[in-house]
Amino acid sequence: MTQILALLTDSYRELNSRKLFWITMLLSGLVVGVFAAFGLNDKGISFLWWQFDTPLLSAKTIEPRKFYIFAFANLGIPIWLTWAAMILALISTSSIFPDFIAGGAIELTLSKPISRMRLFLVKYVLGLLFVVLQVGVFSLACFLVIGVRGESWEPSLFLAVPIVTLVFSYLFGVCVLVGMMTRSTIAALLATLLFWLFLWGLNTTDGIFVLQRETSIVNHERAQKRVERQELASRRRIEQLAAAGEPVPTADTLPANVRDELEAVNAFLAPARKEAADAEESAAFWKRWTRLIVGAKTVLPKTVDTTALLDRWLLTPEDKALFSPERGESGDPDGKVRFGQPDREVQKRAEEAVRGRTVYWVIGTSLGFEALVVLVAGWLFCRRDF
Amino acid sequence: MVTHAAETGWAIDLTNVSKTYRGKVRALRGIDTRVRAGEIFGLLGPNGAGKSTLVKILMTVIRPTTASGTMLGQRVGHKPTLARVGYLPEHHRFPEYLTGAQVIDYYGALAGMPRAQRRKRRDELLEIVGMKDWADTKVRGYSKGMRQRVGIAQAIVNNPDLVVLDEPTDGVDPVGRRDIRAILVRLKEQGKTVFLNSHLLSELEMVCDRVAILVQGTVASQGTIDELTCGKIRYDIEIVGGDEAAAQRSLAAAAGSTPHTIARNTLSLATTDAAVVQPVIDALRAGGVIIRSIRPVRPSLEDLFMEAVTDPTTGVALPPGARKGAGREGS
Repeated sequence: MTQILALLTDSYRELNSRKLFWITMLLSGLVVGVFAAFGLNDKGISFLWWQFDTPLLSAKTIEPRKFYIFAFANLGIPIWLTWAAMILALISTSSIFPDFIAGGAIELTLSKPISRMRLFLVKYVLGLLFVVLQVGVFSLACFLVIGVRGESWEPSLFLAVPIVTLVFSYLFGVCVLVGMMTRSTIAALLATLLFWLFLWGLNTTDGIFVLQRETSIVNHERAQKRVERQELASRRRIEQLAAAGEPVPTADTLPANVRDELEAVNAFLAPARKEAADAEESAAFWKRWTRLIVGAKTVLPKTVDTTALLDRWLLTPEDKALFSPERGESGDPDGKVRFGQPDREVQKRAEEAVRGRTVYWVIGTSLGFEALVVLVAGWLFCRRDF
Repeated sequence: MVTHAAETGWAIDLTNVSKTYRGKVRALRGIDTRVRAGEIFGLLGPNGAGKSTLVKILMTVIRPTTASGTMLGQRVGHKPTLARVGYLPEHHRFPEYLTGAQVIDYYGALAGMPRAQRRKRRDELLEIVGMKDWADTKVRGYSKGMRQRVGIAQAIVNNPDLVVLDEPTDGVDPVGRRDIRAILVRLKEQGKTVFLNSHLLSELEMVCDRVAILVQGTVASQGTIDELTCGKIRYDIEIVGGDEAAAQRSLAAAAGSTPHTIARNTLSLATTDAAVVQPVIDALRAGGVIIRSIRPVRPSLEDLFMEAVTDPTTGVALPPGARKGAGREGS
């Protein structure tokens, strides 16, 4: 325990000596300051002493509590803490392991009665201290702002501490592994940023594919309904012909390019059926590709999905809908949706599909990846001659 | 079999320690050496001889390719034993954000010392190494000598039974070197074992009870300085410049089978026996050679070192660095 406390104290002193730690803390303070400067009243929004009348966004339409939580979960966490502060954290912590294993420093530590794996794991966990402190202070400040300005005390805001630390730990694991392999801070930082960019690309692809899949499924369902309507119209037509004593098409009298008697009396049925078949094929195609992307994501850390858990836990879909711009349905509720064209049903299903992913899948598999990376780095540390 | 150092009398007892790095660089080629408990032992050798590798193996910083033996009665690599060992590596680098006092405290804590004990010891050590006035200054503001002083303090903070110091006087001024020597002697008086690794042969000669000379990954010779110089004492006869050829003739006739040389008006007889010198003196005087002085000469550690690192067949110093190749010992 004495050794772990010594390493903890040393990590704190190391952080304390880094200018970037204090710069990030200062910037966090500024972000919270801006956050606190916003107010919601019956007329609209206020910022410092300026008033902006916005009837659609006022205390009459949205509870101030929800307004602040939304700002915290959708702006403070995803934009500030998981992008800007995360980059600063990576820059600041990427040198921890290369410095730790540098010649002249590591000999002193390894010559102490502490096992290498224990030393490595303690050092790794303490490397997360930067983010724990940053997010802790940021969350505490936001907790006070929402308490005072939104008149609601929300302890659930502190969920940001484990969530953002978790996201950082996925990247820090990679940073440590590359640092261990190359002993270079720059290589570790660049490799981690590239890996993060790759994860972002994969997640964006996943979002696009899920939207494509849901668009195809909705199109297929709507095309299927149109087919059913046309078939009903065809049956009625056949009944009318029979009632009028006119000749009713039979299987023997059908033209070569007509599938059945229903198509023979309705020129719209064949195109509707073709459209449904195309939509089904398209849905199968996007389901296959989405499965592939989700499969790739399963074995990799999910930074965006993990951060989105906070949004999922702090705000209900109804709360979120209050802030979402109205997504218009296509003119015909049964009409074909084109990709990129706003459609409430597609949007809703895509969000449900993403929200439906289990916490185990989001965090469990990401932690699995992290554990593997950290174990490999730890193994390298234990085996290496310094 | 693990035994207590006190029982065997050996603080370090190593057999067949070898290390081959990737690329087949053979840094150590089967080291056998023993260090008595309570003595100051010096390890010397040219650059790349494997001194630091051997020390790092003892400190578990490097994994040996083969090693058997014990350190303080436990097998080499036994981590808990390191609580009883102090270490100062060569080219050490302390965290720049720590003060001298914090460095001593931090490494004491890593050695598992309780807080109260650390504090007391830290203050004592700062006084001993002459860094009391600089205790609260950050290491980044220290000179090389000051870092070395703090380094020695951190190496003995845990009151170790064995202190391993790799180039402890590197970058230290003469006053600092004298202080460090005094610390080493004090440690010996306290019954501690000191394992010293240094290039400064005169320093080692002043404090070491025994030394080992490492050349290209093998122990070329080891023992007390008396043991190593035994049989190497010679008599030098200095003559006044003149007929060197006549002196050579007289020397050859009188010295008989005793190895001898003549260079720059000095005749050297490789003998410890004064009786062997007498006929040579007589012959020289009979030949009209004027003798300026006659003195027995004991080789210095530097002489021993130079002899060890010189190829006996060519008389040329062996190249520095470890040997490449995976051949057997003695190749």
